[in-house]
Amino acid sequence: MKDLKGLAFEQKKQIGLLIAMSVLKGASTIGQAVFFVLVVDGVFIKGRSFEEILPFLYALLISIIIRSLSSYIIGRTGVEMAAVVKKQMRMKLIRSFAEDPLLSSAESHSGRKVSLLMDAVDETDGFFSKYIPQLIQSYIIPLMLLVVVFSQNWTTGLIILVTAPFIPVFMAIVGKRTKEKADEKMEQLNRFSGTFLDILQGLTTLRLFGQSKKQKEKIEESSKNFRDSTIDVLKSAFLSSLTLEYISMLSIGIIALEVGLRLVVFDNLSFFSAFFIMILVPDFFTMLKDFGSAFHTARGSVAASQLLHEELAKERKPVAWGEMELPESMPPHIRFEKVCFSYNDEFRLSDISLDIKPYSKIAIIGKSGSGKTTLMHILAGLLPVSEGDILIDGKRRNDISETGWFNQLSYISQSPYLFAGSIKENIAIGTNREPTQEEIAEAAEKAGVTELIDSLPQGYGTLVGEGGRGLSGGEKQRIALARAFLKKPNVILFDEPTTGLDLHTEMILQQSLAELSKKATVITVAHRLHTVRASDNIVFLQNGKVVACGTHEELAGEFGPYEELLPLQQGGAMR
Amino acid sequence: MKELAQVLKLTILEKRDVSLAIIFGVLAGLASVALLASSGYLISKAALTGQMTVLIVIGASLKLFGLGSAISRYAERLLSHRATFTMLGNLRVAFFEKLAPVAPEIYGKYRSGDLLARIIGDVESLQNFLLRVFYPPVVLLLVFTGTILFTLYFSVYTAILLALGYLLTAVAVPAYFAWRKRRKDWRIRESRGALSAEAAEFLYGFRELKIYQQLSGKEQLLAQLIDSYHEEQRNEGEEEVYSQSINGLFALLVSLAILAVGAYSTAAGDLNGLYLAMLVMISLGVFENISPMAAFPGHFEESRKAAVRLESIVDETPRKKKMAELPPGPLSVSARNLSYVFPGEQRPALKNITIDFPAGSRTAVVGPSGSGKSTLLALLMDVLPAHGGHVLYNGRTSEDFSQESIWRGLNAVLQENHFFYGTLRSNLHIADSSADDGEMIAALNKVELGGFSLDMEVEEKGQNLSGGERQRLAIARAILKGSALWLLDEPVSSVDSATGRIIYERLFEDNRGDTFIIISHDLAGLEKMDQIIVMDHGEVIESGSYGELMERKGYFHGLKEIEQQVMA
Repeated sequence: MKDLKGLAFEQKKQIGLLIAMSVLKGASTIGQAVFFVLVVDGVFIKGRSFEEILPFLYALLISIIIRSLSSYIIGRTGVEMAAVVKKQMRMKLIRSFAEDPLLSSAESHSGRKVSLLMDAVDETDGFFSKYIPQLIQSYIIPLMLLVVVFSQNWTTGLIILVTAPFIPVFMAIVGKRTKEKADEKMEQLNRFSGTFLDILQGLTTLRLFGQSKKQKEKIEESSKNFRDSTIDVLKSAFLSSLTLEYISMLSIGIIALEVGLRLVVFDNLSFFSAFFIMILVPDFFTMLKDFGSAFHTARGSVAASQLLHEELAKERKPVAWGEMELPESMPPHIRFEKVCFSYNDEFRLSDISLDIKPYSKIAIIGKSGSGKTTLMHILAGLLPVSEGDILIDGKRRNDISETGWFNQLSYISQSPYLFAGSIKENIAIGTNREPTQEEIAEAAEKAGVTELIDSLPQGYGTLVGEGGRGLSGGEKQRIALARAFLKKPNVILFDEPTTGLDLHTEMILQQSLAELSKKATVITVAHRLHTVRASDNIVFLQNGKVVACGTHEELAGEFGPYEELLPLQQGGAMR
Repeated sequence: MKELAQVLKLTILEKRDVSLAIIFGVLAGLASVALLASSGYLISKAALTGQMTVLIVIGASLKLFGLGSAISRYAERLLSHRATFTMLGNLRVAFFEKLAPVAPEIYGKYRSGDLLARIIGDVESLQNFLLRVFYPPVVLLLVFTGTILFTLYFSVYTAILLALGYLLTAVAVPAYFAWRKRRKDWRIRESRGALSAEAAEFLYGFRELKIYQQLSGKEQLLAQLIDSYHEEQRNEGEEEVYSQSINGLFALLVSLAILAVGAYSTAAGDLNGLYLAMLVMISLGVFENISPMAAFPGHFEESRKAAVRLESIVDETPRKKKMAELPPGPLSVSARNLSYVFPGEQRPALKNITIDFPAGSRTAVVGPSGSGKSTLLALLMDVLPAHGGHVLYNGRTSEDFSQESIWRGLNAVLQENHFFYGTLRSNLHIADSSADDGEMIAALNKVELGGFSLDMEVEEKGQNLSGGERQRLAIARAILKGSALWLLDEPVSSVDSATGRIIYERLFEDNRGDTFIIISHDLAGLEKMDQIIVMDHGEVIESGSYGELMERKGYFHGLKEIEQQVMA
């Protein structure tokens, strides 16, 4: 809660406005009561004519308008403040995501991050739009009312001073008990409310097994149990409102008695003061109760803010870049010197030394989990190096320019991401220039997607990606290939498909890589024997370490684990 | 309002709770008005007389009304929430009953997980219907009616002004703002959708964006979208504050008018001044009850939309089919010119497929991802309706048979198999509720899960099981079901190849003479199949036995060549 409060009070202008408007609202509330009472007092006690009290009515009208206006401005300011703070949080989150090098890897939890950005931020809304304005009003207005009450009748003020503190005390006690009860029932509640989702998700299974009829009772029962447990929790929450309401009623009762005593028995209080107090006192207690309900809203925001805080507190180690430009005429010479990469204190890669000459073909092999993809990401410049150096043409990669590096690079992964947009846009993303239609068509032709594009009514304008039409895995890979043909990179990182059921894509990939490799260094996470055999150098990874390095001929005879990886030439029984 | 008719019907089913909640709500409202009224009256009275009795009545009535109001409020809250949760339960059951008959088809059609999340969210958001949409105006109407009738005795003008105030603050203003909200609401959803979509692209496409150096452009775009989303949110928030303030202003203005008219009448001698303070207090008190109406436009619109969406999902009527029963024993299955197009797509998922799966034969279907294998399976098992052509069982069209009887006749293992929260036993009972522990353990043994206890807890969606364990459990379920037609969609793709091989061997051994249609994720062991079907782009491009296909040196042969190259 402290973090959120800090964020709110950074908005000095808004907070100032809230304070000013609260004072105005308090003043107009008092004014409104004064003029209500003056009118009644005038015609009822003093026997004045309507014309004589008319000015009071006008003044009352003005008070009412000021009161409505000031509470409108308070509400607006709350909304404004929520919008500003939420915007700050979203921008901060995006910045922090962008600096997170792991975002490109499997640990990225992208779905959770989207919900953090969208839902968690919105959940903090109530804190700023409701709780903070209420908090400020609760500090100011009751105090103003109390001062006025004291000025009219100090004993009433004293009674309020004694009874009012019971409200926050009881609120805290009952609130704590409610929370305990809610925590205690939490698991049960989640279970019951999850049953419906569980059954809906499994409806296909249930139908196929002819079991859907029985589920109706299950839903009924879990709904009933959910209701009873929830009501149990709510009972104590409602009991708290009951107590609060009772305390304030009791106080009002005592005050009325006291005012009455003075009015009737001692006759030392005017009708004006008595009526005035009786109008102001309920307002005073309403204010305190409103604060109680705003407090509940704020509690909902706290859990979300906790999540946001955790995310923002994470340490980011972005990849460092420099200013030096690379020659674009030929592929760079890449050298790894004792490169290590660790994440969460766990070594993913250690002590990797590589020498990748221009135009060479490198195959990275190893079992799943051996660190192949991590190595590719480090090669690509997506992950930072923890120890050791990467030298590009003899210069440390940290010193060369990011643009210069990525301008030379293409990465064809097994599941390339297609952006929402047309096929044309998805190919054109390969280059920073505005490519012509001819260039795009040429790239598409080379990547073997022309046939696909021609078969679609909208051709290159066909929308793909989220919200667009679905493409198969092979088709996506060929689009990524077209991006590479358009880019004409000097370094190509290629993740060869693990399964080989798409003959067409397989063929295209082979041909294309052969063509691209004429003008580029190609580094492949290889799953095909022919790819491995054709490489100049095979890097064999095991548990994040290079355990062997050499050509196929060199490894085949001497290195046992390599032979184990080689395909068995016979198929077993149906697997 | 007619969109909410169904929800209203289900709500009113809870007659006792709803009517009691309304009664207590009205009592609470009236008691709080009475409290203020009596204090106004008694202060005026006390100002005129010096009797102790007045004082005693003050204390007694204030306590009575105060206590009455607080207790009624408590009862009202409890009962209205109870009714709401009961209504939600009824709603779930009613929705389930409509969804169940069309379920597999809808799920298959909209291959999207968020359909379900939306349903759940919509059902949940309808909990506000009783509490914040239906109930406040009704209670308010009764509280105002009671108050107006009371004031009628003292001052007709006050009564008329109160009625006017009710119409303004509880009917006209909320209705107007609900109408405005309905007109503007799409904008906020649109900007939220745009932001959320771009954020997803930013996160999921991060690697590509980084390499193609589009990251900063995307960040700028996100910043713009955040701006416009917040602009819309601000508008929405301001609109709410606006509606609240307008309502509060009108309430106070009506009280002002009552005071003015009352003062005029008093000065003119038409109204006893004794009642003036009371009438003013009544007016201030009764309008305190209208505060829930400020939230009405938002909740009304939300409930309406939720109801519309739920309605649209279950709008589909189950396909009309004849109700013949599938004969027992091994079945032959045939596809005749089958085609299928997913909604919203232009390219067909299946084109003109004709194949025979003779009774007792074993067929493997292979092909790249997205080639239509799973869609073919869904059509063969009558989960999706063919858009062209027919599926035949033993030569008779599937249209003749009820879905229940078709599904009774087959053992299906899909790519996604659902496991329910419960135990292993309860999940296996779904396949055969009469199976005893011995049979279940035998089935587990056949899928090499013999080490698992039947009492083992299974979490939602089987989260505590690995992918391979879930697949094997799904096969165990199919074994327990014991029908003679097996439709398996990549059933062992996450199981290690040795275990997969053993499971297949047992299945074939134990179920000789059954018909098997298996989508396979690889080509190993296909020699044992009677028929292999190769699919690409929704078409069958090759079929035949392993030997025939190898001899033909076509697509399958090419795939086999690649397989020879694939390293572990």
